[in-house]
Amino acid sequence: MDVLDDHVPASQATAALLEVDDLRVGFAAGGREVRAVNGVSFRVSPGRTLAIIGESGSGKTVSCRAVMGLLPAGTVVTGSARLRGTELIGLSDSQLRRHRGADMAMVFQDPARSLNPTMRIGAQITEAVRAHRKVARGEAREQAVELLRRVRIPLPDRRYHEYPHQLSGGMRQRVMIAMALACQPRLLIADEATTALDVTTQAQIMELLLDLQAELNMALIMISHDLGLAASYADEVVVMYAGRIVEQAPARRLFGAQGAVRMRYTRALLDAIPQLGRPAHTLLPVVGGRPPDAAARPPTEPDLAEHVPGHRWACWHPCQNGDGE
Amino acid sequence: MAAPRPEAALPGTGYLPPGPPLLPPVGVSSRRLASQRLGRALRLWIPAGIVLLILATCFLLPQVTSLPSPTNGNILDAGDPPFSPGHWLGTDPVGVDVFSQLVYGGQVAFEIGFGVTGIGIAVGSLLGVTAGYFGGWVDAILSRVLDILIAFPALVLALAIAEGLGPSEVHVIWALSAFSIPAFGRLTRGATLVVRDLPFMVAARLAGTRGWRVIARHVLPNIMPGIVTFSLLGIGVVIILEGALDYLGEGIPPPTASWGAMIASGQTVLTAQPEYVLIPSIVLVIVVAALNMLGDALRERWGVR
Amino acid sequence: MTGARLAGSPALRLVGRRLLAAIVVLWGVTFLTFAVMSALPNDTAQVLLGLHATPAQVAELNKALGLNRPFPVRYWHWLVGLLHGNLGTDLEGASVNSQLAQHLPVTLELLAYALIGSLLLAVIVAVLAARKPNSLADRFSLGVSMLGLSAAPYAFAIFLIVIFAVKLNWFPVQSNSLGSGTLLSFFQQGTLPAASLGFPLFAIYTRLLRADLVEQLQREDYIVTAKAKGLAPWRVLIGHALRNSVFSLITVVGLNLGTLIGAAAIIEALFSVPGIGAELLTAIGNKDVPLIEGVVLVFALVTVLGNLAADLAYAVLDPRIRYGRSTS
Repeated sequence: MDVLDDHVPASQATAALLEVDDLRVGFAAGGREVRAVNGVSFRVSPGRTLAIIGESGSGKTVSCRAVMGLLPAGTVVTGSARLRGTELIGLSDSQLRRHRGADMAMVFQDPARSLNPTMRIGAQITEAVRAHRKVARGEAREQAVELLRRVRIPLPDRRYHEYPHQLSGGMRQRVMIAMALACQPRLLIADEATTALDVTTQAQIMELLLDLQAELNMALIMISHDLGLAASYADEVVVMYAGRIVEQAPARRLFGAQGAVRMRYTRALLDAIPQLGRPAHTLLPVVGGRPPDAAARPPTEPDLAEHVPGHRWACWHPCQNGDGE
Repeated sequence: MAAPRPEAALPGTGYLPPGPPLLPPVGVSSRRLASQRLGRALRLWIPAGIVLLILATCFLLPQVTSLPSPTNGNILDAGDPPFSPGHWLGTDPVGVDVFSQLVYGGQVAFEIGFGVTGIGIAVGSLLGVTAGYFGGWVDAILSRVLDILIAFPALVLALAIAEGLGPSEVHVIWALSAFSIPAFGRLTRGATLVVRDLPFMVAARLAGTRGWRVIARHVLPNIMPGIVTFSLLGIGVVIILEGALDYLGEGIPPPTASWGAMIASGQTVLTAQPEYVLIPSIVLVIVVAALNMLGDALRERWGVR
Repeated sequence: MTGARLAGSPALRLVGRRLLAAIVVLWGVTFLTFAVMSALPNDTAQVLLGLHATPAQVAELNKALGLNRPFPVRYWHWLVGLLHGNLGTDLEGASVNSQLAQHLPVTLELLAYALIGSLLLAVIVAVLAARKPNSLADRFSLGVSMLGLSAAPYAFAIFLIVIFAVKLNWFPVQSNSLGSGTLLSFFQQGTLPAASLGFPLFAIYTRLLRADLVEQLQREDYIVTAKAKGLAPWRVLIGHALRNSVFSLITVVGLNLGTLIGAAAIIEALFSVPGIGAELLTAIGNKDVPLIEGVVLVFALVTVLGNLAADLAYAVLDPRIRYGRSTS
């Protein structure tokens, strides 16, 4: 990865692959109108990793699913999401399908539930291969085995015939990645891809993802609630809260020793990470309160503005110095 | 949208003057939801209304007005078309009033339907809940008993009883109960098994609440929705079965009116005058369909699977 | 990999327990039938001899037929005979075995026709309905299936006869040579009775399948994965959702077999089909206990096997149970 000047946002160094502008998602639930995403904008370039961090309900998953077109019927999506210049919002499902899996792919959180339990994993991968390309069965099978090998699954020939429940969690996630890569997408979205795994496997999967990214020069979006993960692997970080981006900066800047965090929220998230250096039994500072009800939002909210080149935040009372006061 | 100037906010209170709305109205919600709710209400009250209307007609109407006899007819009136004076739906080929037959046949159908279902609930639930709650060999034995009853062809039993002891309403109820008891038994056993291991149940048991009390206060209220919705479907099934017996002549003895018997006798003039088969058949379908739809609507409302 | 794993596995023990239970149930049903038939007043001998027979003649015939022995004795004899494969002779002197052999295949063919036909139609309609919930196709399927659940098979049969046999003349009114002709004649004579039997089945299967499919499409994560791969909606519906719905469908089919065979009796009588259902009805009229027992045994066998199959379907078909966990 290139070493970049702190002042130039990493994602703008090369032409952006995905440009999301003012994305808004709303749907009706239980008699009320829920606004899950309220004006989200970001960019990702090939070879770069963007981390979207937030609590459950912050809208991070919904934003990415809106880009992929995987939201249930009856959801209203406005705004713009351009993949290599092609506007995705507003496309019909059959048009979007041509991009899904081919140009942009997604890896999901719980591979136990995200893989069809009654279908052999080999068949699930060849299905992905043949969805977008006219490939004969035998060749699709070879490609699938090759993909399994690429995601570092031992004995791929044998695993090809197995069912998901016969594999461990980490292996299942590798299979999901193999499926996502079947047509060599330009953009890979990993939606909490490592959340359901133990720490060691987590590290392995992340390393795998980054290696594959470098090999294929993919843009990678990692969705997570784990700031530590973002710190280790991301180029740029976007913090979401209640459907909006509240802080956005290169990872180096956010997590650097001088601590340029401006949002109390981000600060609180950082402080909540357990650290080895602290005395035993230190209580972890918890982010107080709950995210606002997405169906009853406060009437005004601060804008997201680039107050310092490369670093944006949305706050009326930002932290004055890096230590959060 | 510009952020309000910080000094406009009252310090320390977090109060901010209202600003412009953030999102244009989504527009999906309120109208669609209102129509969804209307649909749900209609699906419940229309079938309920139909069932109540039919029940009222069958049981209350004869008390209020006098209807022509459902069993004896004047042969001279045979074959009167509907809306003839004194015969709202006309008369059948032997002169018996059609509407009266429907009304009194309905009485029989509902009496048997409610009777069989009631017995099924009472006896079947007792067996089922006991089997489900206590488990072990109690469950093993009771389950086998229920299995045997289910495998036993109720039709055979009904016909055999009718042949041996002569057809009557009471015999039909006995015979069909052999089918409703295990049906409710299985249902309640399954529901009890599900409820038994829920955390609050374990807590109640640990707190020392004794068996029967636990059952009465905790198990029963939770399986009640399932029982009620199943009953509605069950009444429909019983009415159809009872109709089958009447059709074969082995249920309610003629000349007592019953829908099945109407179909059977109408069959003799089927090609010439199909209405004598059609009318009771349509009434049957409406009644059972209304019961089924009511059961479905309640299932929707109460979230029974 | 699988063979060695299966022996001594929980799956085999489950099968064993179920088989044992099934045998108990079969015994119970036959015992109960015998008990009931014996408890009812039995004037078979009287009927056979006619009204003018003297009490002495009746007693004589009773003794000859063995009808005067107490019920446990008679049951024991029957049971012993059963274990030797002999179901006794009916009141007309024919062997019950041969009666069953003659009439049972007809009923089974009819049932197969009804079952397969309704399953196929149900799958097609349910898939079309689940594709777009609350669409016209969906509402239509729900309406038709409600009709199927609410219509009495015998009334529906009459309706079919009037329209298709009498008015349109597409099918014969009676099917008395079903099962003993060509394939064409089988379809000609069997379609109306099979449709009468199959309509309620179709209704149940359609509703079940549609609900299951819709639930999967809305809730299951692997459906989202399938869509994310860019698969066409039909492929998602059939290749993923339908694949997983088959289990519950098979279970219901098995559980329904018992009621199905009971309903067949009336339909057979209506259409004059020479199956065992019709035989049963006449046997009851004649109080022909051995024949009744034989038929009831068959009915119970079908019910029990159906339940057994439903119970075991999961164990056999679900790859999670069949293949277990491998070392990884």
